[in-house]
Amino acid sequence: MTEFLIANMAPIIFASMIIFLLVGFPVAFALAANGVVFGLIGIQLGLLGPQLFQALPDRIYGVMANETLLAVPFFTFMGLILERSGMAEDLLDTIGQLFGPIRGGLAYAVIFVGALLAATTGVVAASVISMGLISLPIMLRYGYDKRLAAGVIAASGTLAQIIPPSLVLIVMADQLGKSVGDMYAGAFVPGLVLTSLYVVYIVLVSIFKPKWVPALPLEARNLRGARLLLKVLTTLVPPLFLIFLVLGTIFLGIATPTEGGAMGATGALIMAVARKRMNWKLLKQAMDSTAKLTTFVVFILIGARVFSLTFYGVDGHLWVEHLLVNLPGGQLGFLIVVNLLVFFLAFFLDFFELAFIVVPLLGPVAEKLGIDLIWFGVLLGVNMQTSFMHPPFGFALFFLRSVAPASVKSSDIYWGAVPFVFIQILMICLVIAFPQMVTFGLDKGNGVDANSVTIEIPDYEYDNSEPQSGTEEPTEPQGPTR
Amino acid sequence: MNALLKLSRQIDALTERIGKAALWLVLVVVLISAGNAVMRYTINYSSNAFLEIQWNIFGMIFLSCAGYTLMRNEHVRIDLISGRFSKRGQTWIDIFGIVFFLMPIAIAITVLSWPIFIHALQSNEMSNSAGGLIVWPSRLMIPAGFFMLILQALSELIKRVGFLKGLCPDPTDKRNALTPEEELALAIKKQKGGA
Repeated sequence: MTEFLIANMAPIIFASMIIFLLVGFPVAFALAANGVVFGLIGIQLGLLGPQLFQALPDRIYGVMANETLLAVPFFTFMGLILERSGMAEDLLDTIGQLFGPIRGGLAYAVIFVGALLAATTGVVAASVISMGLISLPIMLRYGYDKRLAAGVIAASGTLAQIIPPSLVLIVMADQLGKSVGDMYAGAFVPGLVLTSLYVVYIVLVSIFKPKWVPALPLEARNLRGARLLLKVLTTLVPPLFLIFLVLGTIFLGIATPTEGGAMGATGALIMAVARKRMNWKLLKQAMDSTAKLTTFVVFILIGARVFSLTFYGVDGHLWVEHLLVNLPGGQLGFLIVVNLLVFFLAFFLDFFELAFIVVPLLGPVAEKLGIDLIWFGVLLGVNMQTSFMHPPFGFALFFLRSVAPASVKSSDIYWGAVPFVFIQILMICLVIAFPQMVTFGLDKGNGVDANSVTIEIPDYEYDNSEPQSGTEEPTEPQGPTR
Repeated sequence: MNALLKLSRQIDALTERIGKAALWLVLVVVLISAGNAVMRYTINYSSNAFLEIQWNIFGMIFLSCAGYTLMRNEHVRIDLISGRFSKRGQTWIDIFGIVFFLMPIAIAITVLSWPIFIHALQSNEMSNSAGGLIVWPSRLMIPAGFFMLILQALSELIKRVGFLKGLCPDPTDKRNALTPEEELALAIKKQKGGA
């Protein structure tokens, strides 16, 4: 019995982790408890040194001193404030009028605004809710197909997950031990390609099913000609300003992603005040949501690190590596299996759990197989984005349901999302087939924008903050992956 | 039992107060961090103390909100299976989880991290970077935060036992609160109606 335990410790811990999680108690504590229980067993069996748990406080301290994760509350706070600033509403109104006259115009407007909002914030809920309340009624009034309208709104809302500055990419960079700036630079082109795929889909629909996406009649537009153009230009100023403030400063190397997030949040605050949308209640609410989200995210990470203390102690990572390295098909086989795994896990785990539990196990194997980790991270990012829109648990669908008029049935929303789930799968295949999409911005030393600069600055920041933690154990975020 | 429920209410009030106070740190750290970036770029001034304050506050946010988040029942769970149980069944799961998962961990971390704080305090340890902060306050946050978590877990335990005995309402019932998403939807609707 004991021998069996010793020989199979890693798989046993892994299996019991799944059981612990399924009990339904908060993930953070279940994970940590699993680590502690098996840590004690491991010490009893002589597999682990009795000093094992001495490292616990330092692990938590390492999480605290992690400047990258600080970007999580910043971008969350920014998104929450921004969604109240009225920017999304203005954009949808004017861009809708601009594109309205052409067939499928409202759908293009939704995609365009979705991408624009995605480039300012990393939060899905806001775009979906604004578009569901503003664009959906108009689309329905002028005879858009219900399913298509719902699908395009849900999908465009999830663009926030993959277009920088997204929370997924921050966490992914942290867990894979790469700089957030690189991850952002790598995700930029795939984000644009994905957006274009949505557009292509609408083009195809307007050719083959023109009745689904009628053009707006003239009387639906109250602005025309020069006045419309002027309105469009003025509405575009705030989002472009924010994009510069956040992405511009990061890509130009002026700010770290963390600082970019802080500046974006400040910018969003200023905008909300300027538009007279700000009040104390709203501010408190945004802070409250931000603090709670930050807390549960960090606690999942703490739980995962307690778990990994034991799991790595018994060489669990080597066990996972053995399982995955020997998959047939080398790199490609590994990527396919991993993507299928993540795709199905995403049905019942949210992306924070995936990123903290699964990604650190996969990262080292990917690296060993010669897979670029930025590419790998972006790939998983696109994959996890899908989980926001696939029925029946996708968050975007859920938010859309909460604001859609009763005439739109839940089944309309689900079916509407299906074509976009297929587009996502196509996109995953494209990223696998053309890694250049991700790496091209990174390899080029000069030329394209100032991408190369991004690579230096965050690293410099990390060097700067690392010794401050004052712990013997290296406290970089990627601790568990080594 | 009534004395325990009273204790639980007192703990809740304390957690609420600490949580509500810690919320403001979100705004503070946003402004400090934005300020750091602007200062470094405009007047080329950068201070390790300010860089360290950022993550000190970050730690303060999530450690002081740990109990608060627990009280609001916002730590994420996988309710794939437990979602099908009755309210009482879920309450039993919570009792089990608090006693066997949450409490032992929180106690272990509190106990293990306390001596590290004492050591930092006694040795006046300073951060390794030039002009950095003194270390003990950040070392204190871990045991303090987890101690608050233990207290709140105790309170949650009492409330759940109370609920099973029919002595108090369901503690996981979201109190009259709208989610931020619902609030946003209301705000947009109001604006559209008014325009």
